[in-house]
Amino acid sequence: METTPEDRGGVRLRGVSKTYGTAEAPVHALRGVDLDIEPGELVVVLGPSGSGKTTLLNLIGGIESADAGRLTVAGEELTERQPARLADFRRQHIGFVFQFFNLVPTLTARENVEVIVELTGRGDRRRAAELLTAVGLSDRMDHFPAQLSGGQQQRVAIARALVTDPDLLLADEPTGALDTATGRAILELVQRSNREGRTVLMVTHNAGIAAMAHRVVHMRDGRVESVERQSVPADAAAVTW
Amino acid sequence: MRHIMFTKTRRDLRRRLSQFTAVAITVMLGVTLFIASYDAYLNLSASYERTYSRLHFADLTATAPDARPLAARAEDLSGVAAVTTRTQADVPLDITGQKLQGRVVGLPDDAEAPAVNQVEITAGRTPAAGDSNGAVLEQHAARTFGLRPGDTVRAYDGSGWRTLTVRGIAVSPEYLWPARDRQEVLADPHSFAVLYVPETTARALAGTSAPNQALVRFTPDTGDKDGTRATSALRAAGAVHVQPRADQPSNSALGEDLKGFSELAVAFPLLFLSAAGVAAYILITRLVLAERRIIGTLLAAGAHRGAVVRHYLAHAVIATTAGAVAGVVLGAVATSAVTRAYTSALDIPDTVVGRHVPTSLLGLLFGLVVGLVAGGAPALAAARTAPAEAMRGDGSRTPRPGPIARLLARARRLPVGWRMALRDLGRSRRRTVATMSGAVLALVLVLTSVGMLTSMRAMISRQFDQVQRQDATVTAAAGTEDLAARLRAAQGVTSVEPSVTLPVTVSSAHGSYSTSLTGYRPDTQMHRFLRADGVAQQLPAHGVLAGAALADRLDVSTGDRITLTGPDGRARQVTLAGFVHEPMGTVLYGSVDTVRTVTGAQPDTYLLRFADGADRAHLRTQITGLDGVVAYTDAQALRDQVDRYLNLFWIFIGAMLVLGGALAFTVIYVTMTVNVAERTGELATLRAAGVPLRRVAGVLATENLTATLLAVPAGLAAGAATAWAFLQSFNSDLFTMQLSLGWPALLLAAVSVVAAAAVSQLPALRAVGRLDIARVVRERAQ
Repeated sequence: METTPEDRGGVRLRGVSKTYGTAEAPVHALRGVDLDIEPGELVVVLGPSGSGKTTLLNLIGGIESADAGRLTVAGEELTERQPARLADFRRQHIGFVFQFFNLVPTLTARENVEVIVELTGRGDRRRAAELLTAVGLSDRMDHFPAQLSGGQQQRVAIARALVTDPDLLLADEPTGALDTATGRAILELVQRSNREGRTVLMVTHNAGIAAMAHRVVHMRDGRVESVERQSVPADAAAVTW
Repeated sequence: MRHIMFTKTRRDLRRRLSQFTAVAITVMLGVTLFIASYDAYLNLSASYERTYSRLHFADLTATAPDARPLAARAEDLSGVAAVTTRTQADVPLDITGQKLQGRVVGLPDDAEAPAVNQVEITAGRTPAAGDSNGAVLEQHAARTFGLRPGDTVRAYDGSGWRTLTVRGIAVSPEYLWPARDRQEVLADPHSFAVLYVPETTARALAGTSAPNQALVRFTPDTGDKDGTRATSALRAAGAVHVQPRADQPSNSALGEDLKGFSELAVAFPLLFLSAAGVAAYILITRLVLAERRIIGTLLAAGAHRGAVVRHYLAHAVIATTAGAVAGVVLGAVATSAVTRAYTSALDIPDTVVGRHVPTSLLGLLFGLVVGLVAGGAPALAAARTAPAEAMRGDGSRTPRPGPIARLLARARRLPVGWRMALRDLGRSRRRTVATMSGAVLALVLVLTSVGMLTSMRAMISRQFDQVQRQDATVTAAAGTEDLAARLRAAQGVTSVEPSVTLPVTVSSAHGSYSTSLTGYRPDTQMHRFLRADGVAQQLPAHGVLAGAALADRLDVSTGDRITLTGPDGRARQVTLAGFVHEPMGTVLYGSVDTVRTVTGAQPDTYLLRFADGADRAHLRTQITGLDGVVAYTDAQALRDQVDRYLNLFWIFIGAMLVLGGALAFTVIYVTMTVNVAERTGELATLRAAGVPLRRVAGVLATENLTATLLAVPAGLAAGAATAWAFLQSFNSDLFTMQLSLGWPALLLAAVSVVAAAAVSQLPALRAVGRLDIARVVRERAQ
């Protein structure tokens, strides 16, 4: 896949490897992964624990660096980038949603979203309220995380990830800490974001969720085992697991 | 735009209010101590200076058998504002029946104020012109003996007692601290009194026909060079000794005191600020650890690292700066109180209370720096958080077991609770080190304070038990016969030895030093001449022994020839036979024969030893009633007086002990609560498993008290070293103190700090008791 400035949400990995641990006991998280993600795609990465899916997400999101291979995301070459420039890259292109919501307990829902604008210098604080309304929290904006349910907290986390208007939304087990109904509501938000034109890469070990993806990447032992294209992705509301 | 992070900071501080308050209070104490002591030091210096300026305190005091040529020479020198001459002599006085060695000082016969070294009359008046039997009594003696204007005293003129009427009571810049000379800075007030009399009367009492002192006062803009030039000119004009203001006994003693103040102003606050720094560091480290995932999330979103650093730094800086601001306010109040209490206790006529902006700014800066230093490392660590790693674990990776943990794993006979507690020491080394630091700092504070007291007590004991062994000193009138025999006959007196003491100026090629020369019998039992190793040496048959400080003062060593100039102004050469190491003063010793040969002085005093349990008051009355006895000094009275000074010191020591305990409590309290907070899940799990609270408490207490106990040896060593360094700063030719702590002091300090650590467990244990087990376990499950 040739990337152009217009292909801002696209991802291309060539021979990407990542190893953790010590020389005596290495853990090969990724072993020469090749993968392309088209701009505007919703891709789900499936695999058991230890298959390397979270590492793949972290490398694409620029919060870790690959040991080998070439990595281009949103038109930017990430291979051998310095940490400071990776931070620039994330600021401009990436929104993260994690399994654990990681909200600041001493800030309200609105402040948790606004603080990203404050700390990155990107986006508009007024958009925080819009996003919280969009995720169904218009009446919970001034509540602290401890006053919100798990699903509500994850919605805040999604609003936080979107407030800088990223090209690529990366979600790591976003429903992992939620019950089915709440998880489904979260997936609807993720899908809505994708339908608005944003590229989404979601990591999960839950096969049912894969139904909503344009493509499903199966991983095992640090390698891409297979890539499955779905011509008609299911609505998130219809996903079951 | 940055206010959300500030909102977070504000709320974080509120959530950990008690811990941040503890940090702020410790900083506050440090800054309060700093400002109160440093500003008091500046205020006291200014107070003394105002009195000196108002009463035209002499810059130079030149001594010679006839000081008039000196005065004439001084008047021609540049930078000299005023010159005057007067007579000063040490003569026996009889005040309310007590015979003592006093001092008479001449005032102008015309009743005008002298141009230099004026006195301030606080009651009564100066003697009128022609009132040759009128006198002004210095205030310390007036208070000691309860004299008022109209009372009478007697002065011995060498042939008989002359009655003088006290016309007034006065403060003198020369006796703000009532020191007879540099060798007797601490003196029994009953054995020294200063009497100002008309110059003619002073000469009559001294048996001289000319003034023996020229007093010189410089203009305010006179520099050191002019002072040195004037000193040289006065020496060239025949001055036996020229004493600069810095060496004047009272000023010198007050200067040493001020020096102590300035040392305190830095040393003790430093301990508090260090403790606050340790506590703040632990707190911020804990905060960063607790928010590791949040930090990772923010950084993953592209947050600027600088913003993260500033955010966590702000926590520490706000807490410490708030403490510093409170410290500045309290310090300002305390400064005034300390200054007034001090000038009141010393009867300093002028009290200058100033607020010194630079001191306050420095106090604020201390708070800021403590915050920056303590918060800096964890804040930088926060900014360096690897987002992926932060997301991976629960914020603290399981460390590989260290050697202690592996060793404990084999100690299967040890109860699990003990093994757990001991392993935890190695598991969170930073926390363990912080707990130990708190204990070490507290021990340093306590031992420095206690060390001063015990060392001063040891110094007194060495001086009065080992060095100076007479119980009383009796001065005889010239020509008195058989006094030694009559003294021996007094019931309770076990031995009597003749002695002679006279003021001398000792000089070498490198300078001169005003001191005294005392002659003893070669086999004297009244004085032991201790070497540096504490072993006594014999009085040499020829030559003199000198206080060790003289080696540095005059750059002399054993075997050198030195020059002694007595009251008669004649200079004689003598061999320096060795040095003595005595706690108080820097004086010369020789045999009675040597003193006679060198100065021509005959023994005029007797040193007395009493039987154990002798009635000292009765002996004093009996001996002072003997014909020919003109002065009597009870060594025990001086010792008692020093003990009284030390009793005042106990208040200071008590305060320092309380502060040391508080300091230990603060640091340990913060580390304890952080310990509990960090291990909330673990402790809740134990509680959920049915482990009783007392067992959990036992594990925590074992861990923390073990850390404290491990710190005790280091704390004792550091405390002893600090106390030693602190004492060294006080050493001069006036005092030589050696550190003497003794095991009771060390034990007391260790027990105090361990007790503070034990008490500081209580709030943390209450927190464990209040744990919402279900909530904590649920949160951990997420």
